[in-house]
Amino acid sequence: MAAPLLVLDDVRKVYTRGRVIRRPTFTLQANLSLDEPDIVGVVGPNGAGKTTLFEMMTGSNAPTSGRVLVAGTDIHGVKYRERDRLAIHYHQSYQVRRFRKRIPSAFLAPSPTRTPLVHLFDEPQFNLQDGYIGFMLDFFRKLRDEGRLVVLCMHPTAAWHLDILAEIAGRFLFVAGGGVTAVANFGALVADPRCRSYLGPEMTKAADAICHGAVHSST
Amino acid sequence: MNMIEAAAVHVRFGDRVVLESVDLAVAEGEFHGVMGPNGAGKTTFFNVLTGRVKPNRGRVLLAGEDVTGLSPHRIAAKGIARSFQIMTLFDEFSALDNVMMGLPEFRARSHDVARAAAGDSRFAAKSSEALAAVGLADKGDIRAKDLSYGDRRALEIAVALAQAPRVLCLDEPTSGLGSDGVQRLAALIARLKGRLTIVAIEHDMEFLFSLADRISVIHWGQVVARGTPHELQQNEWVRRSNLGKFA
Repeated sequence: MAAPLLVLDDVRKVYTRGRVIRRPTFTLQANLSLDEPDIVGVVGPNGAGKTTLFEMMTGSNAPTSGRVLVAGTDIHGVKYRERDRLAIHYHQSYQVRRFRKRIPSAFLAPSPTRTPLVHLFDEPQFNLQDGYIGFMLDFFRKLRDEGRLVVLCMHPTAAWHLDILAEIAGRFLFVAGGGVTAVANFGALVADPRCRSYLGPEMTKAADAICHGAVHSST
Repeated sequence: MNMIEAAAVHVRFGDRVVLESVDLAVAEGEFHGVMGPNGAGKTTFFNVLTGRVKPNRGRVLLAGEDVTGLSPHRIAAKGIARSFQIMTLFDEFSALDNVMMGLPEFRARSHDVARAAAGDSRFAAKSSEALAAVGLADKGDIRAKDLSYGDRRALEIAVALAQAPRVLCLDEPTSGLGSDGVQRLAALIARLKGRLTIVAIEHDMEFLFSLADRISVIHWGQVVARGTPHELQQNEWVRRSNLGKFA
């Protein structure tokens, strides 16, 4: 059997403050396995650790402990410039954070693949006017159908953002309070009280409406 | 046969992947539109087609011949001409001189621009023809900087046309044009269509959807969608957007 596409094996990231006495300021933990090609929606409040999670998944930010395996390969053991051959992070350029490269690339392994297996879309700009959304969503499906894992992070601020998530994502990750929870479907996501409080009353109402089969207009 | 073809073109600038993998095949005489949001990699892709950027992987074929990684002037000599998003005219020279200076045989012949420009009527005739094709027949003597914006854009295309290219690459040809300028350009493209293979990056959707035989949508350094304007408009989200209006 093929290795799962993405495994976060007891991954912990601890950010600390102070040089002598290190006091943890933030800890993110994740333990999950995404075995099959899928489209995974990621939601969670700002500061919950989404960016850190994505950086660990795509190999730019090394976990304090634990391993990130992409199709069985520890991505943090791969040559820096080849990590995006396993998992690629599409982000806004201003969001790019750089990290120290402790081990010279020469001592690291080459990537076993040439085309990325995990595609991580970090809050892509969706705009109802230009019509690109439809192409983008079809593209996510195409990647999935070709055997890739698509991770789509969104910050829903309009009902149609929720439409997109409900339409496209096969499963979800909810990131909050330093933890990552895998959720089976949109209904279960919306039922989670932490998610409801993150969404706020208006978005929660819209999400409930989607669960009850209502269709939104684009206006 | 495909006049121009790109296969799995991959470009990175340092740590950044600019083109993940772009495929494109444009048939002879086809007008192929390229659209996509800002920063999607469209201009970089053009730079690969025209030799300004060498891809890390992948191939570019012109009429079946591998031209990957050749220098811009060798690619131009083989028949790929381009206009730029930012205009690259010689402001102090006349429209006719601008076209003439773009002629490969002119450039091969002499670097003494003033003497050559004053002399050879053969080049002048060819250049006048290109000017006429873009509707600038009576403006050959006007200095490039004194032309209207729309005329300058047309002149850019004339410079490209004078090279008798097999493929014409246009980078945002309508940018900065008013509605009558766009109409004039559309009429020009309509005349060239079928005779010349054209690849055009364009933000003006109405322009693209009314003229293009096929359109590739580039995003995240990849072709995320491709089809005839009609095919692309079948998408439900597209129908809900402004693009749907051009159906």
